[in-house]
Parts: sequence; structure tokens; C-alpha cells
Amino acid sequence: MKLTERFKKNEFVITSEVGPMKGCVRNGTPPAFLQEAREIAKYVHAVNVTDNQSAVMKLGSLAASIYLQRDGIEPIFQMTCRDRNRIALQSDLLSACSLGIQNVLCLTGDHIRLGDHMSAKPVFDIDSVQLLAIAKELNEGHDMAGNELTEPTDLALGAVVNPNFEPLDLQLMKMEKKIDAGARFFQTQAVYDPRTFETFMKKAKEFGTPIQYGVVIIKSPEMAKYMNAHVSGIKVPQTLIDEIGSVPKEQRRQKAIEMTARLVNEIAPMVQGIHFMPLGWSDIVPEIIARIAIPRKN
Amino acid sequence: MIATARKPVNEVLEALNGAQRIGVVGCDGCAKACDTGGSAQVVEMVRELKEHGKEVVFDVTPERTCYLHKSRDAFATHVADVKGSEALLVLGCGGAVQIIRQLTEEYGVAIPVKSGLDSVGHMDTLVFGELAIEQCRECGQCALNETGGICPMTKCAKSLLNGPCGGSQDGKCEVDPERDCAWVLIYKRMVALGELDKLRRYVGPKDHSKAAKPRTLYIKKGEVV
Repeated sequence: MKLTERFKKNEFVITSEVGPMKGCVRNGTPPAFLQEAREIAKYVHAVNVTDNQSAVMKLGSLAASIYLQRDGIEPIFQMTCRDRNRIALQSDLLSACSLGIQNVLCLTGDHIRLGDHMSAKPVFDIDSVQLLAIAKELNEGHDMAGNELTEPTDLALGAVVNPNFEPLDLQLMKMEKKIDAGARFFQTQAVYDPRTFETFMKKAKEFGTPIQYGVVIIKSPEMAKYMNAHVSGIKVPQTLIDEIGSVPKEQRRQKAIEMTARLVNEIAPMVQGIHFMPLGWSDIVPEIIARIAIPRKN
Repeated sequence: MIATARKPVNEVLEALNGAQRIGVVGCDGCAKACDTGGSAQVVEMVRELKEHGKEVVFDVTPERTCYLHKSRDAFATHVADVKGSEALLVLGCGGAVQIIRQLTEEYGVAIPVKSGLDSVGHMDTLVFGELAIEQCRECGQCALNETGGICPMTKCAKSLLNGPCGGSQDGKCEVDPERDCAWVLIYKRMVALGELDKLRRYVGPKDHSKAAKPRTLYIKKGEVV
């Protein structure tokens, strides 16, 4: 089911993310991303599939999304502008719809400099706002050049927004452009300060487009420090770094459950859904969800 | 200017491999400003080639090597030298190398014309002799009127036209934390100009056909094809 239909029904939408591996799916062995998706399938409405995340070459998001779909798991096909020009992007949107994909998340994409093919040519022929506009046009039955499609696409279009961004006004301007271009739901970058999120929501809720609070599960102090140093747009406060470091390694999964559930419970009343980015710890997502007080909607 | 950087000597010698008698051509335009190919660097290169056992037949440094007529004038007294050389080494941009190759073809001389430099872009000089930065990528559709005089095509690592990506943090770029995020610069400039509302407009995809290379400029008609 399209995420947009769930939002229309005032459902509190929960999604999580898996990342395809560097390699093929062969010999009938279920790949790790599929096993992760299976672990959380009963607890979430849909599962995002990343698109060569951090510019590291992996199995394609579309192929991995189809694997999820075959298992009855609703995929959210992530699409970045880094590796394809406008012809390839439109073609892949047609392909995705033809294969039964219903949800697409449109992103700019991490720069090639962050990945494992640093000498590649960055494409960025179009940006994420333009990608949304183009995808909307395909839904309306024509390509971006105005040529009619034999059959239009029927895709629910999502986008991302970063509440940590300074100046926030500039980020909100882009968010509004994304809505005008065709975004019908948002997943946020990971935010660890509920006050920051509240400030963002005060303005963002006026747009009237559903927003899912995005959270990367903090697994260790090292991982949090790494994100602070190397992942632009994410700020993990020292208090959380200390908290996850306050317990021995074997107790960190439990600690991560507590910390994430606490954050989610504080922020959930402000939003229309939650998006987990467990980075391999999908197994603890069901336990976090079990601890969430799902806000009742009128 | 067209900025250039020196190729390592070993790479230059390898390119000249097999040629003993060399003509060295500089450029007193952009390459002079980059300290890579002006008259002074030509003298250095002549000395270097001799140290590596090459014979330098002649050297010449046109005022602007990428102007065919200026190179032709500078070469007027060197036609016999060109014919007596086994290869030419040009210390100029890629355009200069190709203009000199054209000149040798005019003279009916089929000898290799090699480049001693790497062309690294259209750059603007901030500190003469020290520092130049890239600010324009000649896209054929200038957007500076809408972006406060700061080019998002060039100064944003992803050439984004509708605002910053999620990787911008504390006003810096995700590609290089030392570099300012172009969109934060544009935002601040538009605030200062009182033109922030201009940034709310959706900007459609760029027409890359206007930058499809190679382009030809018909100067009298004012046309680029």
C-alpha cells in the first residue's frame, strides 16, 4: 500500500531502512538485507531500501526493493540524483512502477567524494526538487520533455528534510519547494535533540504534509563520534554518547532500545510517523516499537 | 584565466620519449599568471630539458598562445626551427597546445606537439601569483542574476539549483569541511540584498545542450553554436 494512503487514513506510519550489500543475490541464500527486512516486516508499514548509500557501490535499490516485495514487504524505493541523468532517472521510475513499486523516496544523494569510487564522475544532472517534479509529471502521464506516456506511473512520492540545518529558514524553503514539486510525505534526517525537532516542527507543520521523525540507532560511543565527525547533517549530543558508553558492549543493544524509545516517545506526538535507520540492528526495532506510545489521531 | 598546473618532469620526459631535438613554447597570458608557462618558466624548462640530455632547438613565448594570430606572429622567425625539431613542448593550456598543433599543420610539419601542463579550469585570481579559485563553469545559461552573484552550478559540489543538500553543516560543504556551502552563502547574500523571496522560486532542470561541447562562438553574430 502507498504510504500516502496510510497518512490519509490518519495512521501513524512506521518505517525502517535496510541497505543492500556489495554483491549479488544468488544460490537461493537470503541476503542480509532481506533477512533484516523479514525481522521487522510485522512491525512496520514499509521498509526503505537505500540507493548506493554514502556513494558506496552496492546492489541496486530497485532489485533489492523487488526482493522485499516478493516477500510481501512494502518497499520504499530510494532514488538519488548522484549516479543517473534525467533519462536514466525517468526510465528507472517507469521500471519501478512497472515492477509494482508504489513508494519512492527522492534524494539528492551523498557526494561521490564520501564513497568507495572517488574518481567517478558525479552526475547531479537534476536535483531532488526537480526529481520530485519530474516524478509527478510521470504520474500525470507525460515525461519531463512533455511526451505522452502510454501508461502513467502511479507512485507515492516522498522526500527528506534535515531539521538540524542552520539556517533552518533555508531548509524550510527547500522543503516547501519539494512539497510544491510533488512530495507527499517526508522522512527527516536523524535528530537527537527534541528541542531542535520542536523548533523545526513549529514551522514545518504549517505545510500540512505528513512528516516521519527519522532516527539512526546509536550503537556505540565510537559510532556516534564517527557520525559527528563524518556524517554531515547529524549531531549526536555528548550526553547520548556518554549514555551508550555507560554500559558494557553486551548490554548496548538493550541500552539502544531504551535510548531510542525515549527519543521517539518524546517526539512522536509532534509527527505523523517514525522512520528507523538501524544500520544493521534491525533486530531491536520491534522491541523499540513495542515501547512506543503511538499517538492517537483524530 | 585558464588555470594550469605543471606536469611532473618524468611525465614530460616520457611524453617526449624518442624526440631529441625539442622546441619549447610558452604562453605569456594565463600560464604566466599561473607561474607555469610564462617566459621565466620557459627558461627553466629549457634548462631542465638540457640537463636531461635534450637539445633545445628554439624557444618562443607568444603574448597569448591561444590566439592563433598571436602565435603565428611569434613563430614567424621560427618556421625553420619548427621544421628542424622532432617535437614541440607547449607550456600552456590545452587550447594553446592545440593552437600550436594547428600551426605546425599550417607549416606542413608532422611532429608531435606535447603538453607540459595540466589545464585545471577557468579560475579567478584572488592573490596574484598565489591564489586562484573556480567560480564559473561556462554553462551557457548564467543564473547569477537570481542567486546574488554566487554561482550554485560551480560553487555547490552537486550543482544544486533549488537549495542546499542535507550534507551541509555549520555552513560548510559535506565534500570539504573547509569549504563554505554555496547555498548558505547565497542565502546570506540574498538576505543582505533583501531579495530572499527570489530563492523561493522553483528552478527547473538546466538545459545542458547549451554547454554541450565543443561549442563555437561566432563573435560578430554574437552566437554560440
